[in-house]
Amino acid sequence: MSGRLAARLWTVLAALAGSALLLFLAAPLAQLVASGGAAGLRGLFDDAELRASLLLTAGTATAATLLGVVAGTPVAYLLARRPFRGRALVAALLDLPLLLPHPVAGIALLLVLARDTPAGGALLALGLRVVGTPAGIVAAMLFVSAPLYVSGAREAFARVDPRYEGVARTLGDAPWRALRRVTLPLAARGLGAAAIVMWARAVSEFGAIVVLAYNPKVASVLSYDRFTTYGLREALPVAAVLVLLALVPLALLRAAREEA
Amino acid sequence: MIAVEGLSARAGAFRLADVTFAVPQGGYGVVLGPAGAGKTTLLEAIAGLATHVGGTVRLAGRDVSREPPEARGVGLVYQHAYLFPHLGVAENVAYGAADADAAREAMARFGVDALAGRRVGTLSGGERQLVALARAAARRPRVLLLDEPFGALDPRRRARVRHEVRALHREWGLTTLHVTHDFAEAGLLGDVLVVLEAGRVLQAGAPEAVFRRPASPSVAAFLGAENVYAGVARAEVASGGLPPADDAERVLVFEGEGLTLRAVTDREPGPCHAVVRAEEVVLARAPHASSARNALRGVVREVHQAGALARVMVDVAGTPVVAALTAGSAAELALREGDAVWASCKAHAVHLC
Repeated sequence: MSGRLAARLWTVLAALAGSALLLFLAAPLAQLVASGGAAGLRGLFDDAELRASLLLTAGTATAATLLGVVAGTPVAYLLARRPFRGRALVAALLDLPLLLPHPVAGIALLLVLARDTPAGGALLALGLRVVGTPAGIVAAMLFVSAPLYVSGAREAFARVDPRYEGVARTLGDAPWRALRRVTLPLAARGLGAAAIVMWARAVSEFGAIVVLAYNPKVASVLSYDRFTTYGLREALPVAAVLVLLALVPLALLRAAREEA
Repeated sequence: MIAVEGLSARAGAFRLADVTFAVPQGGYGVVLGPAGAGKTTLLEAIAGLATHVGGTVRLAGRDVSREPPEARGVGLVYQHAYLFPHLGVAENVAYGAADADAAREAMARFGVDALAGRRVGTLSGGERQLVALARAAARRPRVLLLDEPFGALDPRRRARVRHEVRALHREWGLTTLHVTHDFAEAGLLGDVLVVLEAGRVLQAGAPEAVFRRPASPSVAAFLGAENVYAGVARAEVASGGLPPADDAERVLVFEGEGLTLRAVTDREPGPCHAVVRAEEVVLARAPHASSARNALRGVVREVHQAGALARVMVDVAGTPVVAALTAGSAAELALREGDAVWASCKAHAVHLC
């Protein structure tokens, strides 16, 4: 077989394999939206439970993302810029939640935040009950999705040459001011993309939430609840709306990349 | 002034070790060194941007070794400019400017006022460099640190900007330290020359002295000396017509690599290297009459014409001796490969190190 013919054959095989994977990924989602999309969109108007669930999902995911951004940005900056003893350990710890089965993450959180634990008791004394409340949902979302933000933010900071900040320092900026005026604006696009990924991951979380706070029901739990209680037909609209909701951050990410 | 004493600093895996030199108040220092010598790290250590390990940095008489970069009063211009890409040209220059007038004046001085409304991404390499110089000058620093700032400029603009930097340095009495690869630039601009290699200072002093009297064969080779020979120097029994040396100097006879050269030097006899710059070697068809000169008989092996200069390689007993002549002198001698020739140089032109 000539080299040229072999190259063509490999190209065709690669195209076939790629197309099969794309079909495998897209077909169920397309079928889901086609079957339940219209009912789901209608449900936004006439299904109060679905509406409340979506609002709860978006609200708790946003709260978790804000907490992740506030707490994760300094960690990401340190990991990207400052060599320190134990940096590899910190990075590994931050990645660990990504590798855990999500119900395991929920169980781990329950062990720390349940009301009969020291931390849970202390939070309860402050008037914050975690298990079975939106706070628990936020905690579960934060646990499973913050590592994605830290990882993305770390890459965003690493892409900004530290010499920009150095020049700003020689031009009179204290470290915080140089970070605010130079590094953060230069990393902003990457930080925004990391926050969107975190939000999307938080919205889609199920396993950890279902252990920590089955009620009130976020959209993923509602979809599961309707499936187990009423069957596939009742679960379809919720599931379809969740797919459509996932398209929002996807579109935002795409727009950000194209602008870049 | 910039006074660096025993400075050790770290930048990533690179380490600057025990660096000592001084540029007087209002002086112009030039740092030369091969790629990877630590030139940029040296500037960053003076600016406070590299991790300080030991030693002291004094700027304008004040020990700033433990001070943060923003308190040191330095202006730093990198080879790649590092203009803030999210800001326009005018915003870059105004970023750390002492005041609005200082920013305007700096833009006018470096001819970038016409670029004020432009985005950084639309500038050419040369324009970026000019804006970076204006940005550093607008802060009115006490010390200016330049990391190959003319690298991206075309020859005409380079001459103009070099003139502006020199004028800025003169008018403001601005102590300047300038990293360059360009020997001509080092000679043209510098009051003090620092030769750096592998994070250490090989030699520091007046450029003329460093070029003429390199401290080691590696400095000599790096500074472009083509005639460097290893051998031994011994005391001369009779000085035989050489000009009298002063108290500190003596005449030594160097022998090595098949050459015998008399040198006026202040060093002791012993193993050493002899360095003769190609410009100090004179060629003639007949031996030079003066016994004050070293005269070596050889054969022309190569004549290389480069603009107004000609480099002639003469084989002296199997050892190459390079002479740099003006094109006129070379034409007058009408040298061709294989011609017998006398290469001579003064004993004062033979430097032992």
